[in-house]
Amino acid sequence: MATKKKHTPNTQNDSWVVIAADSAIDTQKHDSGPAFVKLRNPSTDSASLYMLGSDVQLYEVKAFKEDFHSWFIGQTVQRDGRLLYITPVDPLFLILPYLMKSGKEGKFQRLDQVVMDEEFPACSRLLSCTRSLASLHHIAEEKEVGGQKFHRYSQERTMDWLKKKVERTVTALKKSNVSVGEGVKSATYVRVKQDSDANEEDYLRYAHGLISEYISGDLSKALLGHLQLPELTSPKETEPPSKKRKLSDKPVEAGEDYTKFNSADFARKPPKKMTAAQKTLAKVDKTGMKTMASFFSPKVKTENK
Amino acid sequence: MDLGEFEADNSVSCRLVSEIPQICRTEDCCLGIDEAGRGPVLGPMVYGICYCPVSKKEELKDLKVADSKTLTEAERENLFQKLDEARSFVGWALQILSPNTISTSMLQRAKYNLNSLSHDAAIGLVQYALDSGVQLKEVFVDTVGPAEKYQEKLSQRFPGLEVTVRPKADSLFPIVSAASICAKVARDHAVKGWNFMEDLGDVDTDYGSGYPNDPKTKAWLLKYLDPVFGYPQFVRFSWSTAQTLLDGKAATVHWDDDEEDGEKAAARQNNKSMLSYFSRAAGGNDQSSTHQTHRFFTERRLHSLDAL
Repeated sequence: MATKKKHTPNTQNDSWVVIAADSAIDTQKHDSGPAFVKLRNPSTDSASLYMLGSDVQLYEVKAFKEDFHSWFIGQTVQRDGRLLYITPVDPLFLILPYLMKSGKEGKFQRLDQVVMDEEFPACSRLLSCTRSLASLHHIAEEKEVGGQKFHRYSQERTMDWLKKKVERTVTALKKSNVSVGEGVKSATYVRVKQDSDANEEDYLRYAHGLISEYISGDLSKALLGHLQLPELTSPKETEPPSKKRKLSDKPVEAGEDYTKFNSADFARKPPKKMTAAQKTLAKVDKTGMKTMASFFSPKVKTENK
Repeated sequence: MDLGEFEADNSVSCRLVSEIPQICRTEDCCLGIDEAGRGPVLGPMVYGICYCPVSKKEELKDLKVADSKTLTEAERENLFQKLDEARSFVGWALQILSPNTISTSMLQRAKYNLNSLSHDAAIGLVQYALDSGVQLKEVFVDTVGPAEKYQEKLSQRFPGLEVTVRPKADSLFPIVSAASICAKVARDHAVKGWNFMEDLGDVDTDYGSGYPNDPKTKAWLLKYLDPVFGYPQFVRFSWSTAQTLLDGKAATVHWDDDEEDGEKAAARQNNKSMLSYFSRAAGGNDQSSTHQTHRFFTERRLHSLDAL
């Protein structure tokens, strides 16, 4: 019973299943309804979807997406089984990269000249978000000349601000019993109970990782230093270092004859079915695990600069 | 035969029983097991047991019960009537496995095949007779699958009983014939008076025998195929007839235990091709390591979006 099923790409949807605050999507109260906007993601530097709520707050859009899900909505079926979460996000995170870029010139500048992006023209609307202007002093120095405000990026302020963010995140993590400890995680099993051995550093690192989702890689590294957390020397991703071949002037010759495998009777065998146990094993989240091969490869010397 | 209890909810398995004759509690009894409706793509599968005192075997023979397959529907009804009249010494019990039970058993993650389903139904009925105080000594069974294995399984499960498993037992032992008649009559009734849970309006009940090779059955299956839901619960989804039609005509549905193999599956699981280990790392090493999302999000299957 080998039925071939084609995974056709998702066709355009005209509806989504969304969780959002009422105040964000209230179309009655305010003049401007909620609008989805594409803005530069401060962490990835590429486009991400955000929403400007009708309460003039900035929201980020995240999708819960797993394979093999669909919705039954009323009398219809929706193929796209995503669940969208629209949650508030601090607009400062998105303004920060623009300020940092202009900060390299070291001059005080007008914000509307700083927060500009040809690729994402909607970014100017970030400045009109509630709290945007009021909280700018967290990341920039201010000067007022002739009734006009000028700003300049401040690394010290930003670091202090981010540190506070991390500390607040730690509090939130503790409150919501998020498992922050190291260890192998299974895709089918998310720990609910608190690891008893999770220490303060685990929380700090986890919170730092979360905040790093909202800042650039360089800033993330700087923040690590500011939090006085040593950088972890994790083994490089999965692949073992390739063996170096010795160079010689001699013509290259095959060491072994593999041509016999090319004969017709050495046909490719169909892949074997995995047993249930193997399938479960395959689903284990292997991030952070060393490959077996890495134990047999020569150690990579870490150079101290 | 009153199938009211089953018709009230025909999506599950249901047990119907006769009253237990007093004599069966005191005298050594024999018991026959047979089934009806194993092959059809439509309707339930019925398991039946019939039991009577060993001393009354001859009287049962006099009722001229014979293999249900050699009889017309009217003759079967007639014989069931006679069995019912002999209730002073003959008892019966039925396990009706709804088509929905069959579908969900055979199509669940840990596959539960039709043979195991049948065996377990038979075992359940024998256990029922024992629990009700029937003095069982001999059990005769029409086989499902290899007779020897089945006999061994039953003997092990019921060490105190003398178990005989034979192919064609329904024509060899009158008590098995009696069981087969009970089962077949129940199945006929269940199919005829099928109470569709689905809102199908006036259902066309001209579905023929229900066997996959019956053109009428096939035409009916085509007529009642819904592109999203497939069939009413009357249909056994696990039958290849039903599956082939669904594969061709209904919307494709993917389940996470779909068996995929080959390169596609590997691609889905992000397995690297063996060849990739032999090729040069593409471009600069560091650029290939793209932004990795924090595990808070990956563990919760949360992704950023760049478009709706």
